[in-house]
Amino acid sequence: MAALLGVLALTVACGTDGARSPDAVTLAELPWDSVVERARGSDVVWRMWRGDPAINAYVDDWVAPRLEERYGIRLRATQGQGAELVNALVVEREAGARGVGDLVWINGETFHNLMQESLLQGPWAHRIPAAELVDSASAIVMRDFEQDLAGFESPWGRVQFSLIYDTLRTPEPPRTVEELGRWIDRNPGRFTHDQSFTGITFLKGLMYALGGGVDEFRGGFDQEAYLSGRDTLFGWLRARTPHFWREGRVYPSGVADLHRLFANGEVDFSMSNNHNEAVTKARQGVLPASARALVLRDGTIANAHYVGIPFNAPNPAGAMVVANFLLSPEAQLEKDRPDVWGDGSVLAIERLPAEWRARFEATERDPRAVPMDTLTRYARPEVAPEYHERLQADWRTLIRAGG
Amino acid sequence: MTRPSEKSFGIAAALVLAAPVVVGTGYATAAALGLAGAGATGQASLDRAVAVLTDPVVWGGTLWILWVAAASTVLSAAIAIAIAVTFRGAGRLDALGRTLAVLPLPVPHLVAAVGGLLVLGQSGLIARVAFHLGFIDGPAAMPALVYDPAGIGLVLALTWKEVPFLTLVAVSVLATRGDALERTARGLGAGRRDVFWRVTWPVLWRGLMPAAVAVFTFVAGSYEAAVILAPSDPLALPVLTWERFVDAGLGQRADAYVLALLGFGIALAAVAVHEWVRARIGLLDGGSA
Repeated sequence: MAALLGVLALTVACGTDGARSPDAVTLAELPWDSVVERARGSDVVWRMWRGDPAINAYVDDWVAPRLEERYGIRLRATQGQGAELVNALVVEREAGARGVGDLVWINGETFHNLMQESLLQGPWAHRIPAAELVDSASAIVMRDFEQDLAGFESPWGRVQFSLIYDTLRTPEPPRTVEELGRWIDRNPGRFTHDQSFTGITFLKGLMYALGGGVDEFRGGFDQEAYLSGRDTLFGWLRARTPHFWREGRVYPSGVADLHRLFANGEVDFSMSNNHNEAVTKARQGVLPASARALVLRDGTIANAHYVGIPFNAPNPAGAMVVANFLLSPEAQLEKDRPDVWGDGSVLAIERLPAEWRARFEATERDPRAVPMDTLTRYARPEVAPEYHERLQADWRTLIRAGG
Repeated sequence: MTRPSEKSFGIAAALVLAAPVVVGTGYATAAALGLAGAGATGQASLDRAVAVLTDPVVWGGTLWILWVAAASTVLSAAIAIAIAVTFRGAGRLDALGRTLAVLPLPVPHLVAAVGGLLVLGQSGLIARVAFHLGFIDGPAAMPALVYDPAGIGLVLALTWKEVPFLTLVAVSVLATRGDALERTARGLGAGRRDVFWRVTWPVLWRGLMPAAVAVFTFVAGSYEAAVILAPSDPLALPVLTWERFVDAGLGQRADAYVLALLGFGIALAAVAVHEWVRARIGLLDGGSA
């Protein structure tokens, strides 16, 4: 019956706009086989961050050939992320232009902005077959900066913030926020953070730790909680930034700059939103071989990232098949490997067929990586996106400009 | 004498060139007022424009990029003039000098900026050499030439990048306009100093002015070198514009368009000043340029 209704809905959808393929909402009601049939032999354009050669290689050289072989789908990844993506989609909507992207890689405030501007199709994500494998018990996967996914985005990977240090230069690194503060005071000029997403995530983690824990900030944006947390954090920063790199008058623009300062010995710490980046970047030779991830015991922010389908995607069926493949155990396992990308899986490993469960468990873990139980113990969820937005704006005005 | 069909073709070509600027300015104005773009409220309001134009951060960043643009334009023009005058002969050494000076021409600005970082940074080439020679005992002891509030690293990188373009212009100005006038002056009994100050120099600076204005406006609006070499405080106007354009809060989008219009205004002002100077001074070659 559902299938019949779906076909009927499809007919209506096609009738109203003959040339366009049905949207993802309509497709989600159809039997999966018919979605796959529609996707077969099509082109899918995926707008994503293209800044990491390891991620690009996974997408271009591992995912794309398999999609072509199995579904005849030609996957093409192009640059387009975060606020740039939001801006581009707004302009496409204003111009009434046919969309150029079928799939987008998003999370957090980008998802927030896209939903605010009604730039995503949905719900569809909970209806693709592989959605059943997702770790639905995990608040970190199922809530994107406290936002309900609502079927508008499909989980793809999960990561956890970590500091990066060099075991040769800093054999006894600080393990808590308090120790980090003391370390910075005793080693003037050897610590900084970047101005972009990673740096603000670091500051937000500090705000949790100094402001009584993440629970103080959960349950939607609260102005009072924010101002109190911000003031405590900024007090801590003001006491410390004179001991930052270049006395806190200058900050690296992005995390790549911070990695460079760290690798060149100008500072003793870098940081990443991905707990495996110390290992993967060391393998690439970007960071020293003795670089390690450091998870502070006060907790570090863990979050997930997702794929969505823009409102004007020319090929939503193709996008759904790609999203489904990205959630397959083989694609998730490959992505998880530290020599590929080191991006955590969003699947509930215990619910996988025995064969896959064994393969996940047997995956060779790099002995230099942070053990999974440590990550889990210190993982803290994201809070409402307004915290990130406000903290970024206020840090720029009150700390950076006042530096 | 221009025939009407040529004239209309010329107007059509000019319109095609102007259209993106006109449409872009119109869209930016609408977005600055909150009528278009992400986060638009649909209600025209000057609130964001007022907030942006009364923000000391904006004016700090504007004055800073104007300083960088002026310094790198003056420096690169001076070097270009020196090269053009020194190597203006027909000898092999002259040709070699001119060729070497224009070598960086095809290097993209982004590459020049990254090169600046690798050479001038506190862990860069100069710092490493200084360290090995025992002049400094660590990165922090190296004077900060990148991300520095004075913008020295950025000015040096941009100067290196702009010298070839201005040298090309200066060499061609001297070759096409200077020779005959200088010969005449020498024939009338002028000495070397007089020929330079009364003929060569006026011809050069007038001929170089449009190119120098182009360099100034380009630098004042360019993002890629500034984002790599400029400090975070003051934040250069082009970097600030982009930061607001990609801010996590949609409420900041209108600010980016106000800033883009401010940058456009600076470019227009530079061109207007150039036209004003040109109209007052006139050109030695009879105004055909």
